Amino acid sequence: MEEQNFEKKLTEMTKPEITHLKHEDLLAAAIINAKDKSVVSFWWLSVPVFIILMLMMKSLYMPGSTLISNIHDLAIRQKYISLVFFLVAPIVLIIFNVFSIRKVYFLSGSPKSINFLEIVWSSVLIIVLSILVLIIYSL
Amino acid sequence: MNFPWFRRFGIFFIPATIAGWIILLAGIVFAIYSFMDIDGRSHSVSDTMINFVFMLLIIGAVYSLIAYLTSRGTNHHNANQ
Repeated sequence: MEEQNFEKKLTEMTKPEITHLKHEDLLAAAIINAKDKSVVSFWWLSVPVFIILMLMMKSLYMPGSTLISNIHDLAIRQKYISLVFFLVAPIVLIIFNVFSIRKVYFLSGSPKSINFLEIVWSSVLIIVLSILVLIIYSL
Repeated sequence: MNFPWFRRFGIFFIPATIAGWIILLAGIVFAIYSFMDIDGRSHSVSDTMINFVFMLLIIGAVYSLIAYLTSRGTNHHNANQ
């Protein structure tokens, strides 16, 4: 009888299951933080992008002026504003977003699939736009 | 230290506490003041709009930075839920 009970206990015994992984929490927090950072980056990047669009319009409607000449003009007239929005902000945004992507990449087990890009596409977009702003400013 | 003053919805940070609402209200009041100031100095509607949108983007950038910094502690809390 005792042996039967023991067998019954053995069959009922299962492996200890961990329903909640700490690693999942870390990954979820990293993804949320990366998205929050990309939203803040979007707002800070919208200022130089808006200025570039306005200068493009100006170069279209004013004969003899180009986008590059207008940006050079702005850099002379508004030295500090142009330095902050066209040089400092894009570099800082690139650094922040690269670190966010790196953290999510390592926490998700260094995946080599396109699904990873779907998670961090906003950060990648911010990096690309920041590089474009830097290139336009440095021309 | 937790500052759950804002919650993010898409590209906007929505206030979650009174402190958050005060910051948003201050931003709106400053936007209205800057609109009136720009409108008083500009020569056309497009002149007003171009300068005001620029100011609005700067206000949005500063607001989003404050909102991000004051809601950072909630990320891990949200992940646990």
